[in-house]
Amino acid sequence: MITIPYLTALTTYFSYGLFFAFGQIRDFFRKIIDWRKSSNLQQGYAPICLGLEDFYVRRLYLRIQDCFGRPIASAPDAWFDVVERYSTDNNKTLKRTAKINRCLNLGSYNYLGFAASDEYCTPRVIDSLKRFSASTCSARADGGTTRLHSDLEEYVAKFVGKPAALVFGMGYVTNSAILPVLIGKGGLIISDSLNHNSIVNGARGSGATVRVFLHNTPSHLEEVLREQIAEGQPRTHRPWKKIIVVVEGIYSMEGELCKLPEIITVCKKYKAFTYLDEAHSIGAVGKTGRGVCELLGVDTAEVDIMMGTFTKSFGSCGGYIAGSKELIQYLKYTCPAHLYATSISPPAAQQIISAIKVILGEDGSSRGAQKLARIRENSNFFRSELQRMGFEVLGDYDSPVMPIMLYNPAKIPAFSRECLKQNVAVVTVAFPATPLLLARARICISASHTKEDLIKALEVISEIGDLVGIKYFPTEPRKQQQEQQGRMKLD
Amino acid sequence: MVDGLGFSSGRMGKLYVSAVPPPDLNKNTEWFMYPGVWTTYILIVFFSWLMVLSVFGCTPGMAWTVVNLCHFVVTYHFFHWKKGTPFAEDQGIYNRLTWWEQVDNGKQLTRNRKFLTVVPLVLFLIASHTTDYQHPMLFLNTLAVFILVVAKFPNMHKVRIFGINADQ
Repeated sequence: MITIPYLTALTTYFSYGLFFAFGQIRDFFRKIIDWRKSSNLQQGYAPICLGLEDFYVRRLYLRIQDCFGRPIASAPDAWFDVVERYSTDNNKTLKRTAKINRCLNLGSYNYLGFAASDEYCTPRVIDSLKRFSASTCSARADGGTTRLHSDLEEYVAKFVGKPAALVFGMGYVTNSAILPVLIGKGGLIISDSLNHNSIVNGARGSGATVRVFLHNTPSHLEEVLREQIAEGQPRTHRPWKKIIVVVEGIYSMEGELCKLPEIITVCKKYKAFTYLDEAHSIGAVGKTGRGVCELLGVDTAEVDIMMGTFTKSFGSCGGYIAGSKELIQYLKYTCPAHLYATSISPPAAQQIISAIKVILGEDGSSRGAQKLARIRENSNFFRSELQRMGFEVLGDYDSPVMPIMLYNPAKIPAFSRECLKQNVAVVTVAFPATPLLLARARICISASHTKEDLIKALEVISEIGDLVGIKYFPTEPRKQQQEQQGRMKLD
Repeated sequence: MVDGLGFSSGRMGKLYVSAVPPPDLNKNTEWFMYPGVWTTYILIVFFSWLMVLSVFGCTPGMAWTVVNLCHFVVTYHFFHWKKGTPFAEDQGIYNRLTWWEQVDNGKQLTRNRKFLTVVPLVLFLIASHTTDYQHPMLFLNTLAVFILVVAKFPNMHKVRIFGINADQ
């Protein structure tokens, strides 16, 4: 639930309207000026993109391009090196310099601190690199299955709590290649309105009918399910062949946890399959790091298909699908990402295996439990401090992702550039990745952040928050303020 | 879902509204379902009247006529002429639909559509009243409101008269 000050909503709409108007005027003049110039289109060929398709990129995104896509020159640990860039043509092109700045990393998905060199994982990864080399150079079905891959799938299945698992080389591809295989024309996919682009792509590519329910609202999901089951397929009104409901564990743009127990109850009532995408929650939440099912007390046997990625908490790359043995067997001979795409790189697989061992404590130390405790403490401390300072922070307690709302489009580059000047690197997100009004700066806390790092970050963010004007809520701590109000009412 | 104005207690008099993301996948039209859009629209129209009045120094009636006609040109172009979305990642699935046909996912007679139909009518009434129904302005204003309101009828959904603005 995002509460936005009304005046801020009006000014944000006005700013975007102004950008839009100026962009259209510039496009209009560009068309007039280029009328006389001969177009470099060869005779008879159609233009590659329509003029209006990249309007947003050309007229809005390019103005603040230096806030996105900053190159880094070291491993994404708690502190990392950011390469400086400059532009001579007003941000249309950016050139790298040789200078680097050491900045505090508040943007990488480094939840458990495995992104940098780790004393248990890195020697094993280097060993496997020497033994299996950097790539298997083959698809899984041909020559790309090494012992590491089979071990990895067993470990992942055991860790997640399902009978079997299948591992792919890329997280995005896992969603977009699995959904078309699981469901086709005549099926129905009901997905949360704020699901990730990979799920949207997979759903569109499957050919099934896609319906959306209000974000994290099980009552609306029930309404949509009832309506769709009653109506049946479009035009023929025959019953649906199957229904899959797709939700995420932690929504990366909101930092909220999914209301999993209620959604599972609704799905079981109407006999729909559930697909849970745990990209941000696996390894980061839960007492032993097993994700939202553990945190919310849901039995993993009740979720039909569990998906996740290794990029966030395990410091590697790739994705997995976990489910029943029959499902994984079926996917092994139909999924194109398994049959035709190169298998996951062996050192990456070894990194995941070692990371899982550390988290479970099987490496003989308690570092895994310490990391999990530290990320929980860090996230809760940071979130409560930010809220006390008056920022509007989204997300649930215990979640390591915290977006700070900015709203106005001019505050996005202001916040990002000022933070970079003070050597704090944050990631800002705007339209179209978020809704138009709700631009935000997203902070990802890691277990490798020390208390001093967090305090420094809080000081910098507080100072810049005052400068930019994003402290939308009053600064007093909320409990004290409510007590004061109560006292005033009694008087 | 638009939640109206909410005076939250304990916020020291600042007006807060809650912004619930609507279940609309089309990024081109989803922004219209958040609180504050209607007010911004009305305020833009009002301030453009003030600007026309101060720049041209004409009578208020002429200024309202100018605003009405510019409003007609701008909204006709962007709501009923331009098709598609300004994002390449939509892969052209809305390329045959104008913005009006995309709003609210094609559902007719929603609150947003009713509001957008009433605005040109109110502008017409104000413009024709303040010019005392004199002739060249009245004809132009009537033409503007007629075209805009007819274009917004539910029966005109995806209709292209005489093939104007149809695809190749």
